[in-house]
Amino acid sequence: MTSNLQQHSDQGETIIDVQGLRKRYGSFTAVDGIDFQVRRGEIFGLLGPNGAGKTTTMEMIEGLRQPDEGSAKVAGYDTRTDLGKVKTVIGVQLQSTSLFELLKVKEITKMYASFYEHTVPIGPLLASVTLEEKLNDRVKNLSGGQKQRLAIALALVNDPQIVFLDEPTTGLDPQARRTLWDIILKMRDNGKTVVISTHYMDEAQLLCDRICLMDQGKIIALDTPRNLISNMNSESAVEFRIPEELQWNDERKENLLSELQQLSGVRIAEFRKDTYVLYTDDLQQTLTDFIDHCKAQDIQFADLLTRTATLEDVFIHMTGRSLREE
Amino acid sequence: MRAYGQLTIAQLRLFGRNKQVLFFTLFFPVFFMVMFGYLFSGNGSLSIYGGLIDLDQTTESKAFVAALDQQKEILKLDSETPQADAMEKLKQGDNQMVIVIPKGYGDKLKAAMASPEAANSEHGIVEVYYDETQAQKSGAALNAVSQVVDGISKSFLKYNPVVTIEPKGIESLNLKYIDFLVPGIVAMMIMSNNLNGVAGQIASWRERGVLRRMQSTPLKASTFIAAQITARLILNGAQALILLLIGSIGFGTQMNGSWALLLGFVIIGTLAFMAIGFIIAGLAKTPESAGPIAGFISFPLMFLGGVFFPIQSMPAFLQPIIKALPIAHLSTALRQIMNVGAGITQLWSEGLLLCAWMIVAFIVASFTFKWE
Repeated sequence: MTSNLQQHSDQGETIIDVQGLRKRYGSFTAVDGIDFQVRRGEIFGLLGPNGAGKTTTMEMIEGLRQPDEGSAKVAGYDTRTDLGKVKTVIGVQLQSTSLFELLKVKEITKMYASFYEHTVPIGPLLASVTLEEKLNDRVKNLSGGQKQRLAIALALVNDPQIVFLDEPTTGLDPQARRTLWDIILKMRDNGKTVVISTHYMDEAQLLCDRICLMDQGKIIALDTPRNLISNMNSESAVEFRIPEELQWNDERKENLLSELQQLSGVRIAEFRKDTYVLYTDDLQQTLTDFIDHCKAQDIQFADLLTRTATLEDVFIHMTGRSLREE
Repeated sequence: MRAYGQLTIAQLRLFGRNKQVLFFTLFFPVFFMVMFGYLFSGNGSLSIYGGLIDLDQTTESKAFVAALDQQKEILKLDSETPQADAMEKLKQGDNQMVIVIPKGYGDKLKAAMASPEAANSEHGIVEVYYDETQAQKSGAALNAVSQVVDGISKSFLKYNPVVTIEPKGIESLNLKYIDFLVPGIVAMMIMSNNLNGVAGQIASWRERGVLRRMQSTPLKASTFIAAQITARLILNGAQALILLLIGSIGFGTQMNGSWALLLGFVIIGTLAFMAIGFIIAGLAKTPESAGPIAGFISFPLMFLGGVFFPIQSMPAFLQPIIKALPIAHLSTALRQIMNVGAGITQLWSEGLLLCAWMIVAFIVASFTFKWE
């Protein structure tokens, strides 16, 4: 009971405090003056397309990169003045670290453990990422998912308060991704704070307590996944194509879009690539209205589908661009 | 301290398990040693094979054969084979010379002794057939035979020399090319292993994010580098020892100096070339370019720095450059220790120059080194 209360009050405590962080590479601004706080015990997601500045942001908090402006405090330690202390309370999995392929799983874990004063026992640690049967296998013989789990075990070897995971599931098959999600959720249950970056919106939606949406070095939204979506005021999306639209001129297309905008319940009507998307807070009304309209105007539509709005929609709505590059 | 030990062991494991690299870093110098060792081994001991045909069969001719026998260290003469066969062998290249004592040799000699005045026109003739295409060996062969002939002539003429040479054997080192070669090969191995090895490995670790991952831990750069140095010293020490053993057992190379001093120079050499490797790793933008840059530096050094050929045989205008090269000092020092047993008093300048290289290179490396 007490521990429950304790945990609950911890939820509000700020463990990472980022103030005005900025990083430039020549004339390119990778991170453009961002502020946010991470709370103890939460899974905090940095979501955005490639090049949004997620990795640079994480690496400035980890102390791997010097910010040009601003500061980051980790568990009360400033990364500019107390980097040594910061390093003892964090665990890091970098986006593209390759490990020493010729070492055995046990050996490389022991080696990383030797860098810290305080460490957890290696056996249970590797069991927690389901690598207990691979102790004596060389890293090079591990699968992609196993390597990634080993990288996470190495990030946990010093029993850190905060774990940074930079796109941990990129390049993994669906099964391996799911295994990794379980491990990450278990880390939160064990009281770790997790900062994870990803460009998979389904992953962010499923794992994260709060999501920081990033684009072009700026934060465009920061909230719980549920709030992000409901703030769009559109719970559903309607998608369809109009095959004959290929022969239309631009005026005809724009006229249709403004007509669609007028349909009842439609908040936003958009044309993306070859598909029309209507965001609505009243799916039934919108659909009825839409079909009536098409009938009246003699418009032939195809591939009609309806779905609930996702983080991807939030992102596209806010930036006009897709999370994944086409 | 624990991190230092673990990193050293990890690096040694990486060396030990990378069979291909291990094989080629050792195979390459051994290959050079064996190849050059055999190629130039003829210079050390010279033997001439030939046929000896005594057609005269008199006391005088037998005395001549006996005199030739004293030169058997050089002249390996076969007196069993008939003249025609011996000549055939000469043409085939199996024999380098054929000596024929013609019939009447003894009679002519006696006649010459009876009237010395007639000796100039009517004297003993020994025919020597030799292969003109093998100038070096033929020259040596004729020289050896001439000595024998001279000796006999003088004794027959009761020649009383005014000046004599009294041979006093001193203990000579009797060095062969392989004795020159092995220390050079050890120096070459130290250079190429560390230059290429350090540059390639660090550049690749940087590219693959290995260094940055370590940078995110409390591990100190100095601990990391100290472990690298330790592991490489152990590896190079072991490889140098293996090379020296192969040289000693396989080719009978000599070791006339102090092992401790030799080890000292192996250590300084390793450190100096490691530091240069760190500089290259800093300059190389990608691991792919680290190899060629290291090769560009180490390849000329290999041929200029007294590895295969004596530094003195290089063109005069290159001498000042060569004398500044670290490889030249390393190969010279190793050679002096092994060949003539030089001590620190003779080698302090080499040691000092190598140390200077090491210090300057480490300073430059600390400025050019990048974790990422």
